[in-house]
Amino acid sequence: MTKTRSRTVGVILTLCLLLSSLSAQRFRGFGASEIPSDWFAPDARGEFHFARLVYSGWGGRRGGSWATDYPDAEYHFMQGVRRLTSIDSARGGKTFRPDDEDLFDYPWLYAVEVGRWDVSEEDGERLREYLLRGGFLVVDDFHGTYQWAAFLEGIRKVLPGRPIIEIGEDDPLLHVLYDLDQRSQIPGITYLWSGVTYERDGYEPYWRGIYDDDGRLMVAINFNMDLGDAWEHADTPEYPEKMTALAYRFGINYVIYSMTH
Amino acid sequence: MRYVFEFLFKYPPTVFRKGDFVLASGWPVWLLILLVLGAGAGLAWHLRKHQGWLDGKRPFVVWGLQFASVALVLFLLWRPAISIQSLRSQQNVVAVVLDTSRSMALGEGEKTRLQLAWEALDSGVIDELKEKFRVRLYAFSGGLHRLESLEKLPEAGNATRIGESVAAVLRESAALPLGAVVLLSDGADNTGAFDRGLMAEIRKRNVPVHTVGVGREEIPDDLELAEVTVPLRALPNSQLNAQVAIRHSGEDERKTRLTVRDGSTILGSKEITLRRGENVHSEWIDFNAGDAGIRYLKFAVEPAGDEEIIGNNSLSRVIDVPRGRRKILYVEGEPRWEYKFMRRAVFRDASVQLVSMLRTSPNKFYRQGVDTPEELEKGFPTAEDELFSYDALIIGSMEAGFFTPEQQEMIKQFVNRRGGTLLVLGGRNSLGDGGWGASKVAEVLPVAVSESTERTFFRETAEVSLTGQGRDSLICRFDEDPAKNLEKWKELPAIADYQRVGELKPAAVPLVNVSVEGKEVPLLVLQNYGRGKAIVLATGGTWRWKMGLPHDDTRHHVFWQQLLRSLVANSPGPVSISTNRRLYADDPTVKLRAEIRTKKFEFANNATVTALVTPESGDSHSLELYPSAEEEGVYEAQWTAAGTGAYRVETTAHLGEEVLGSEVIHFRREDGLAEDFHPEQNRELLERLAEQTGGRYWTLDEIADLPREVRFSEAGITSREIMDLWDMPFFFSLLLGLRGGEWLLRRRWGVI
Repeated sequence: MTKTRSRTVGVILTLCLLLSSLSAQRFRGFGASEIPSDWFAPDARGEFHFARLVYSGWGGRRGGSWATDYPDAEYHFMQGVRRLTSIDSARGGKTFRPDDEDLFDYPWLYAVEVGRWDVSEEDGERLREYLLRGGFLVVDDFHGTYQWAAFLEGIRKVLPGRPIIEIGEDDPLLHVLYDLDQRSQIPGITYLWSGVTYERDGYEPYWRGIYDDDGRLMVAINFNMDLGDAWEHADTPEYPEKMTALAYRFGINYVIYSMTH
Repeated sequence: MRYVFEFLFKYPPTVFRKGDFVLASGWPVWLLILLVLGAGAGLAWHLRKHQGWLDGKRPFVVWGLQFASVALVLFLLWRPAISIQSLRSQQNVVAVVLDTSRSMALGEGEKTRLQLAWEALDSGVIDELKEKFRVRLYAFSGGLHRLESLEKLPEAGNATRIGESVAAVLRESAALPLGAVVLLSDGADNTGAFDRGLMAEIRKRNVPVHTVGVGREEIPDDLELAEVTVPLRALPNSQLNAQVAIRHSGEDERKTRLTVRDGSTILGSKEITLRRGENVHSEWIDFNAGDAGIRYLKFAVEPAGDEEIIGNNSLSRVIDVPRGRRKILYVEGEPRWEYKFMRRAVFRDASVQLVSMLRTSPNKFYRQGVDTPEELEKGFPTAEDELFSYDALIIGSMEAGFFTPEQQEMIKQFVNRRGGTLLVLGGRNSLGDGGWGASKVAEVLPVAVSESTERTFFRETAEVSLTGQGRDSLICRFDEDPAKNLEKWKELPAIADYQRVGELKPAAVPLVNVSVEGKEVPLLVLQNYGRGKAIVLATGGTWRWKMGLPHDDTRHHVFWQQLLRSLVANSPGPVSISTNRRLYADDPTVKLRAEIRTKKFEFANNATVTALVTPESGDSHSLELYPSAEEEGVYEAQWTAAGTGAYRVETTAHLGEEVLGSEVIHFRREDGLAEDFHPEQNRELLERLAEQTGGRYWTLDEIADLPREVRFSEAGITSREIMDLWDMPFFFSLLLGLRGGEWLLRRRWGVI
């Protein structure tokens, strides 16, 4: 009995340690880089800021699915934007809840793991207004049938009635800076130990979008892929450089598209 | 007054004005002077010897009165007279010209002006003239007609062409001894054709024109649309404003409504207040140009209840709204939100094509809005004809060093010679921070641009406000009501960034200011330069007007649509055709003027320019335009548009085999309109005509005396006439006064 009890306590302790380890990994990222202390200075100025959507759902403001890959993804990706484009991009990144007043000063918004988001009617209304004014939303890192359904439930509160369309080969999004005719599935970090590029039943990658009345993309949907991980692990030796490069290209095209259309 | 003058001086003032003074006795003048001096001395001697009891100044007064009397008698003995040329009896022609235009049908009490004039002539004036001259009777309105007699009152016509009619009489009588012209008119020469040239032609004939004014000089409580100024052309669906001048003669302040219509559609309407004491009230009214096509606009003010003449309460204007989009080239040095939202603002605009080249990475450009894959493929144009094919140029956050010196010179000439508009936006690579202060383009800009290395671009939000000129500008118009417009500007979110600019140039017009550290500094400034215009908008942060306001708020888009349309609205092409008017009311003479340039917008002096004039109904007519003697690259023609209705003029220019371009303009001919305008008697014009020709202005009350004065003319067959002055009542009165004065003084002094 004592043996059994101590075995049970051991299992619980191990699970606790494992969970806390996973939680930490989720927030700081796998193989996190050393980020300079001034990188996330609140008064960072520039024309373009990496703005991340803080949504309700699994986790909270201090961490949760919205914060996946944060802040390493921003840190790496924005260095790419600064190096590869003419954009006057600000260091660091911003995080916004839908009801934040300042959200509308940042017309490009990134939301990760939207298969886990919980969009209230108020949030939906607020994001709809953001998009109708000219904001641009990139959603990323959600996989499989279950998460697609969860994403749909949320996005329907944001843009009810607007169809979700496969982005065509000739869409300016895929050519605005880089010609992206290579639609490879950009995997998450799990690829390093699972050996497969997909997660759950999300075998095929889909680049989908929601367009406005003038045919301009409002929401770019990266389904069954994980650009965020590819940015986050840009300096992880094991993560394929090819995938990171492709993710940078997609990300930069999203940014430039949002600033030109 | 006139009768008093003639009683005292025997003759009318005309005799003294036209004649020369002479002493008709033939005796020498020196003798007169000698006698006058001798008489003065003799009187002085006599007074001194015999009137010694007079003291003080009295001897001098008595001497003065006696001397004046003697001098006057001596002067009269020398027979003063006026020598004047006068028409010989029955050897000269006098033309009597009667205005029979529609304004002469206006009532003056129980009778019309025409009836009054007719009766005045028929009351003995014509008969008296016939006693001394051969009289020719004419009537004029649209044209000149000979009348055989005064038996039948002619019908009223449409227009008054005083100048042309008088000139026509003079021309027709060139072979006749025409001694004078008598013109009876209300002076309403409302075709606007009585210009300096016509006056000079009349004066050259040296025939006095006596004008007889008919009608009231002021019509009480009359409203008249004196002028409406609108652009000749407008972009489809662009916002326009017209300046309207309303003449009103009412004593009291009154309210009325000004309306602009296209057919039965009301395009704009506003209530206006006409203030007491102002003769002409100026007002602006906004309206939309609508879709491509021709707009026949009618501007009207509501008549007052008891207004006598309502035909002058409206005016028509024609505006061409051509199809096709005007091209704007936008060069941007970095992806910016301003770029995106500007493009969105004109995305649906059928009148503006925004062709942009955006530097996405240091060596890559992304092109949008191009017509062909080849357009701008090699970057910013390096040849004038390529750059000049755009109507406007926007330079965003792009450093001056990106452009070669030759390209900078081209940009300057784009404004100066081509007549395009340059808009420079603020940005981290723009204006002072982009090294533009030392560039060739700096001269074109409406503000001084810093040449120092000190930073001028700041990513800080700032509030904007309209300047006085901005409140009147169409670019900054969110609402027709000035107070609401101002309120809407005040509600705008702060802009995301701003750039400090230097001093305004002398011709610069600031429209919008930005508040920086509590001080207002220019944000949106424009100025004309050469044939074109340059504008600086010292920010890249107006996009906050879109993201910071509800999605259905249109202010950001309206601002950019109006700004971008203003860049191209008046951009000339190689062929610019214009007519001297757009509405020819009762006047068929159309003057065409074409300004022709090459593809590089240099003067094309050897071009072949033809115009195809197509009336609304009827056959087209082709005419050639000839080079102007006064202006380079200008071609002119004159044509008579006989019929009423709309006319289309398509002008094409060739330089050898090369087609330089073509342009279409419309105008309209209407009859029966002009006479409703300026219905009061234009006494000023009639007086001027009489004065400049040596005639006299008469009222109808004075016309009975006219036949006597008409004979004093140097035209026709004349003889010199000596008209004695010695028997003028004035002289006798003066003599009596002098003698009587002395007697009265002596009585007063008690020395008789």
